[in-house]
Amino acid sequence: MINIQPDIKFKKQLKEVSKSSLNECMQCGTCSVVCSLAPEEKPFPRKEMIWAGWGMKDKLIGNTDIWLCHQCGDCSTYCPRGVKPADVFSAVREISYQHYAKPKFLGKILNNPKWLPIAILIPIIIISTILYLAGTLQIPEGPVNYSKFFPHVWLNSSFTFLSFLTIALGIAGLRNFWKDLRLQYPDFKPSGSFIKHLFSIRKEIILHSNFSKCSNKKSRKIAHLLVFYGFILLLFVTAFAIYAAIVHKYPLAITNPFKILGNVAAMMLLIGLGIMIMNRIFDRKDFGNSTYADWLFLISMFLLTISGVVVQAARFLDWGIAYHLYFFHLICVWFIIIYLPYTKFGHLLYRVVAMVFAASAGRK
Amino acid sequence: MEKKIGVYICSGCEIGKSIDIEKLSQIASEQNVTICKNHSSLCSIEGFDLISSDIANENIDRVIIAACSPRLKTEVFDFPENVLLDRANIREQVAWSMEPNEEDTQMAAEDCLRMSIAKVANTEIPNPFIADNISSDILVVGGGITGITAAIDGAKAGYKVHIIEKEEKLGGWLNKLHKQIPYAAPYSELINPEIEDKIKELEKLDNIQIHTSTTIKEISGQPGHFEVQLLNGKEEKVIVGSIVTATGWQAYDANKLSYLGYGNPKVLTNVEFEEFVKNNPGKEFPKNILFIQCAGSRDKGHLPYCSAFCCATSLKQAKYIRDLSPESNVFVVYKDIRTLGLYEEFYKEIQKDDQIFFTKGEIEKVIPEKNNISVQVKDTLIGEDISLSVDMLVLATGMIPNGTEDLNLNYRLGKGLPELKYNFSDSHFICFPYETRRTGIYAAGSLREPMNIASSKSDASGAMLKAIQTIQATKRGEAVHPRSGDKSYPDLFLDRCTDCKRCTEECPFGSYDENEKGTPLPNPNRCRRCGICLGSCPERVINFADYSINSISAMIKSVEVPDEFEEKPRILVFVCENDAYPAMDMAAQKGLKYSPFVRVIPVRCLGSINKVWISDALSKGYDGILQIGCKPGDDYQCHFIHGSELTETRGENIQETLETMMLEPERIKTEFVEITDYDKIPKIINDYVEDIELIGPNPFKEL
Repeated sequence: MINIQPDIKFKKQLKEVSKSSLNECMQCGTCSVVCSLAPEEKPFPRKEMIWAGWGMKDKLIGNTDIWLCHQCGDCSTYCPRGVKPADVFSAVREISYQHYAKPKFLGKILNNPKWLPIAILIPIIIISTILYLAGTLQIPEGPVNYSKFFPHVWLNSSFTFLSFLTIALGIAGLRNFWKDLRLQYPDFKPSGSFIKHLFSIRKEIILHSNFSKCSNKKSRKIAHLLVFYGFILLLFVTAFAIYAAIVHKYPLAITNPFKILGNVAAMMLLIGLGIMIMNRIFDRKDFGNSTYADWLFLISMFLLTISGVVVQAARFLDWGIAYHLYFFHLICVWFIIIYLPYTKFGHLLYRVVAMVFAASAGRK
Repeated sequence: MEKKIGVYICSGCEIGKSIDIEKLSQIASEQNVTICKNHSSLCSIEGFDLISSDIANENIDRVIIAACSPRLKTEVFDFPENVLLDRANIREQVAWSMEPNEEDTQMAAEDCLRMSIAKVANTEIPNPFIADNISSDILVVGGGITGITAAIDGAKAGYKVHIIEKEEKLGGWLNKLHKQIPYAAPYSELINPEIEDKIKELEKLDNIQIHTSTTIKEISGQPGHFEVQLLNGKEEKVIVGSIVTATGWQAYDANKLSYLGYGNPKVLTNVEFEEFVKNNPGKEFPKNILFIQCAGSRDKGHLPYCSAFCCATSLKQAKYIRDLSPESNVFVVYKDIRTLGLYEEFYKEIQKDDQIFFTKGEIEKVIPEKNNISVQVKDTLIGEDISLSVDMLVLATGMIPNGTEDLNLNYRLGKGLPELKYNFSDSHFICFPYETRRTGIYAAGSLREPMNIASSKSDASGAMLKAIQTIQATKRGEAVHPRSGDKSYPDLFLDRCTDCKRCTEECPFGSYDENEKGTPLPNPNRCRRCGICLGSCPERVINFADYSINSISAMIKSVEVPDEFEEKPRILVFVCENDAYPAMDMAAQKGLKYSPFVRVIPVRCLGSINKVWISDALSKGYDGILQIGCKPGDDYQCHFIHGSELTETRGENIQETLETMMLEPERIKTEFVEITDYDKIPKIINDYVEDIELIGPNPFKEL
């Protein structure tokens, strides 16, 4: 027995983000029938749709099913009332980033366009402060050498520290998320470790097999795979670069295999992101409503990649504006890496955790 | 005057290819027929002219058209009123339903013609009963929205209307409304109650007489001349031709709903909530309000039916709350939201409100608490049982029809209209809305079936049209539905009446009053011409000019029953004209075939079959008698209510007759069909023929 107190504020926010009317859902269940990912027991998204209509925030935030959805949009396509369950799910995820954000204000400023200047100003101020402390807050003379502008030691230590800080804050949010997941499954007795269950869903993660179950829009899977592996490769190359900067010689030559690998990864990202952006622009009917959070993430990822390539070119070609471009690239890095738990990139954390929870709860 | 019979046989529509027309014509010449002619297409202009010129030149006054079913081409075969027409159905009932060019088929066609000739020879042209005191005024009983609408429509159509209302003021339930549901798109704003305007419109009409604070002491008489005694401090008599009854409804007694919390001051019915809103304009509503739909409705322990108005009313009342109190949440727990027709649009409009929450569910428990009421709901759409803490609870209760006892009819069958399922004074059959079993008295609005304001208004118009129709039909001496236009009426030869009261008791429409002795006193304008009285009369003193004991007996006797039984049994089939006869036509039209041993006599109703016809048939040597009519029972389809039921009760009597004649009980069988059961007709007939072949010949055959 659940006592219901509708959260009107939440309902209004959900309507605003999803652009769905919510109320017109007549609980026919077509969405759950056409969904290729919905489990047989208590399938989504039908039940979530009435929870949404009744403003039942607790039921929707901290719900595994919201994250088991891979947004293929079949439910929205077939919905006879046009209430777009896929967009509602997407909106719940977006609200989840804000709900679990630690500190809260970061969740707020990264999901509302009116706070975008602040979100940009934060990395500018902090990076400038680090440069000031390093004593290099000026455009260096001579051929382009980024370490003159941002010494490797300062760069690597500060960004590594900030990344770990973000991971710690992200984990704090995930702990609350996990607690909420437990609340929704009071009968759930965890068996086995998190790692064991993470291992059990390796296929879904590595091969994106859940994406394959989405019957339409095959390009989504290819695009996501390109971006996913492109990004992992770049992380790997970056790790090597840090290692090289410490014990080896840096920067790497254009012919260095790692450098080549990095460029291949950048191409993968650009192609993948290009497909995603094109789909969202030209196929709105099938890809649903694109929110500010969708665009912020896609565009900052795209700018990160493009600026990385350009910064590299600027070094080899010795462009005058190389350092300005480099500074811009660092802000993009900040948006992607340091802001990770607060932007749509947070799905990396929440979706994996929800999938692990579902696996350990036997929700298939 | 001698009857001059003209027989016209059509060979078109494959009839000529199946039946030997020349041989058939000889049958006519053997009988007392003036003219017999053949034509390849009687329904053509030449065919019609052929008959018309014989009527004009040869003084033919009895025309027999041996061709297609009498249900078809009635607009073609339209002859002057002094000509009696009979249609021998040799197309559907012989040529199309039996094997062509067989000896048995030819015999069936010949018997069909013989029966028709026998019928017209024993039939008179009806001379309608036209009373000389017919009033064109109309009485409307009940001054609610239904009665007012009916009265306005009647007056606008040019009839003087008396509208009576027992309360001091016209308006009924609508006087209690704060706002009304919009009738048209966009359905987003409620409208002000329309009743004041309606009353003004009514009062402006010259030919309406309003009787408020008035009741009825007694209504006697018949359509065209009802004497109505009104009571309004004093007695007043008005004469009207027909009556529309719109006595309306009352709310279900919420005291029976204590399990839903009724009795607690925070729990109101929908009626009380409406009054609360009307009497407290602008008063803010509390934070959380729950509407429980079907409170004591669609519930076997209370009202088993849906009252049709409560869902939309709750939606309207939810809007009262939301329009005035933006902070309030409204919850609606329903069994099904039933907003019929375009009110679905109103529902959709209400659904747009973010603070009106709907779920299907069953109320498990209502627990009054200190500051609020906790309501537990199971089987919800939420996916689990829920509890709602609310500050106010509104029970959407249903309606109970007021009944019509207040009409105080001076009929031997009771003071009001008969009541059907759930006490609604309904039409007796789904396809005859507004019809009641009291001719000239029509029910409209929620006393007929649960309905909302919009439906009540259209219902009122429909009932008023029926009331007008009755007056006009009565003026012409014609029957109303379902034998509309029938000019015949029962003619009683009272000298031989034994006052057995069977006719007065069995008439479904209360046509007969009776004197102290029990002698029937007919009211021909109450009569629907079903012939049930004719069927009931053991003394055979009731007859219609064109449907009598003699005419059917003559038809039965006209058939040539072969002496040899082998392969030539004869089955007499009495077929009800209403559904069974068209079903037989349809069977033939669909190419279905059945046994050629049957001889068909259409009857007005199975209830009109007189016992004497059975004994006539058995004496004549028929081997079996099959009666096919409409379904009896709770959801009966008999057009005259209990005609087919009577065949069952009278059946016992008939079995006695069979016993005295030493005959098997299977010699008589009754089957019930619906009009759509045409595909079952061949099986019904063939199975019975087989049964009779097993039993063997009627021993009276050779006598």
